[in-house]
Amino acid sequence: MALLEVRDLVVRFRTHEGTIFAVNGVSFDLEPGETLGLVGESGCGKSVTNLALMRLLPKPAGHIEGGTVSFDGLDLVSLPESDMRELRGKEIAMIFQDPMTSLNPVLTIREQMVETIQAHRKTTAKEARVRAIELLGMVGIPKPETRLDSFPHQFSGGMRQRVMIAMALALEPKLMIADEPTTALDVTIQAQVLELLRRLTTDAGTALILITHDLGVVAGMTQRINVMYAGFIVETATTADLFAAPSHPYTVGLLHSIPRLDETRPQELVPIEGTPPDQRRAPVGCPFAPRCAWRLPVCWTDNPPLVPIDVNARLVVSGPNATHQIACHNPPTTEESTAGRPLREGFVPAPPPGSVVEDLAPTEEVLA
Amino acid sequence: MSAPTISVTAPGATRASHGLWRDALRRLIRNKPAVLGMVCIVIFIAAAILAPVIAPYGPLAGTLADRYQPPNAAHLLGTDTQGRDELTRILYGAQVSLQVGVIAVIMALVMGGIIGAVAGGVGGRIDAVLMRIVDVLLAIPGILLAIGIIAWLDRGILQLMLAIAVTYVPIFARLLRGSLLALRESDYVTAARSIGASRMRILLRHMLPNALTPVIVSATLVLATAIIDIAGLGFLGLGPPDPRTAEWGTMLTDARKFLTIAPWLVYFPGLAIVISAIGFNLVGDGLRESLDPRLRR
Repeated sequence: MALLEVRDLVVRFRTHEGTIFAVNGVSFDLEPGETLGLVGESGCGKSVTNLALMRLLPKPAGHIEGGTVSFDGLDLVSLPESDMRELRGKEIAMIFQDPMTSLNPVLTIREQMVETIQAHRKTTAKEARVRAIELLGMVGIPKPETRLDSFPHQFSGGMRQRVMIAMALALEPKLMIADEPTTALDVTIQAQVLELLRRLTTDAGTALILITHDLGVVAGMTQRINVMYAGFIVETATTADLFAAPSHPYTVGLLHSIPRLDETRPQELVPIEGTPPDQRRAPVGCPFAPRCAWRLPVCWTDNPPLVPIDVNARLVVSGPNATHQIACHNPPTTEESTAGRPLREGFVPAPPPGSVVEDLAPTEEVLA
Repeated sequence: MSAPTISVTAPGATRASHGLWRDALRRLIRNKPAVLGMVCIVIFIAAAILAPVIAPYGPLAGTLADRYQPPNAAHLLGTDTQGRDELTRILYGAQVSLQVGVIAVIMALVMGGIIGAVAGGVGGRIDAVLMRIVDVLLAIPGILLAIGIIAWLDRGILQLMLAIAVTYVPIFARLLRGSLLALRESDYVTAARSIGASRMRILLRHMLPNALTPVIVSATLVLATAIIDIAGLGFLGLGPPDPRTAEWGTMLTDARKFLTIAPWLVYFPGLAIVISAIGFNLVGDGLRESLDPRLRR
């Protein structure tokens, strides 16, 4: 049985400027010990999805509007707040993007670690202290017993992220959510922290959801990847499948907008034109249509469901044999995805409905 | 409120090597006006504490035969309308100002702190209701409110403290609420929630200590205004109930009628009020500058 089952999760924010359609029906599964990458550009709903899992959406604006989240047999959407609090930190832990601001500046490392341990376990301060030293040693902080009484500002960014990882692992959670854990760190430190995270979660058998906008980060870290766009999962596959055969125009676009060192001949970078849709509007049609080079007329009106590429394949939603699924009416062929653009003779992206046929550069105003 | 204030300063003081508080203290000492303010405060507090020791006479001792003496060797600051030594009475007056001022500010801190903490920590409808009450308090001029409270509760030292405290509740309530609201969205508060810390614990342990810096600064500044308020209320005849009590405002109002024949009876208590108020103001401004991380040099 899956550790985590998310079905049709819908999250909206009610603000003064109207409703924000942040997450629009996301479904995925996670096995115990599995690592899953959640990839997409800023604002695509990857962080909101995970805050919703933890029920830490900013109040009062953020709401889970629909769907179910089942964790270890518990329904997280309807769980009482007190039970949810019991779960946080103990069963599901989180690591945040910016280690410079995620530790309380007025409390020592020891106070914050002991607090985490004692929040869920009845231990004496002394036992908690011993455990804290052990954890700091595990994440590679030299002489942990002398650093324990330091304040966060006496640590570097990489050290602080190590402390955050130690705190997150303190209670051996079943699931760890790491939200852009290395974005705020120096490039030289990023790899170390990722390796540490990978090793410790593997050793403890902790499932990991790694949120990132950096495909390079997930490539070496995760077994499976969900690519998100505008609050939808547009492609899901094992990491190997995704990089071998990217099949959604957005994923193709993402891969073509980063330079690769392992190509034998230099490839042209193909940027994705335009900007992500305004999420203050209810989604109509495929969210990626306005920026897509492969779009058909139907893309403007009908949002394709997430379905297996091989229609005859048996659907496996998690684990190493997960089925490669995409949400696309007109997926690029293998050659096209290698080239990064449509190669079909005479193909032009469908113009937005109601516009002149020659107008090939649709804008959001036209969409509205 | 005073207890948590101390416990907050304590961990700050232990971050010895290059801590925020040590930096702040260093900047404070480099700030010349703040040092001048500290000198004023030290003189003021020393006068209050040491009055019974250093005062040449008793605060009530004096005969009518000695009245209206200008400053001379026996009476350094002269004598008042009852022949009492003016210097002695100014020293004893510092006791009233310090005692009433400090207790009133602490009371305001506690009341305003609780209102602000509940409003900023709980939010929602409770926040809206509490802030409207605070708005009402703010709409009434402070001195009028204090006069009203003393009129309602009768004269007395405790009433005087309460009256002054109530006028400063809105300042602390708003300040603390504002800081807490900003902190509620901070990463480490979300991080504390993500480890399953309770709401109360997050508020008391994670948010309050981080919200106290501006409160400490404004408490110092409020103390300066409170000292002026005490004198003002004393001048209006709403000071300590015993008319013989040495209190700067009361001394001013008594001396007012004899301004032409004994002007020193107005100068010296006035000077005492100015020195103590300026002292707290200068230190308050210095604290604000030295605790502001943006000004770190």
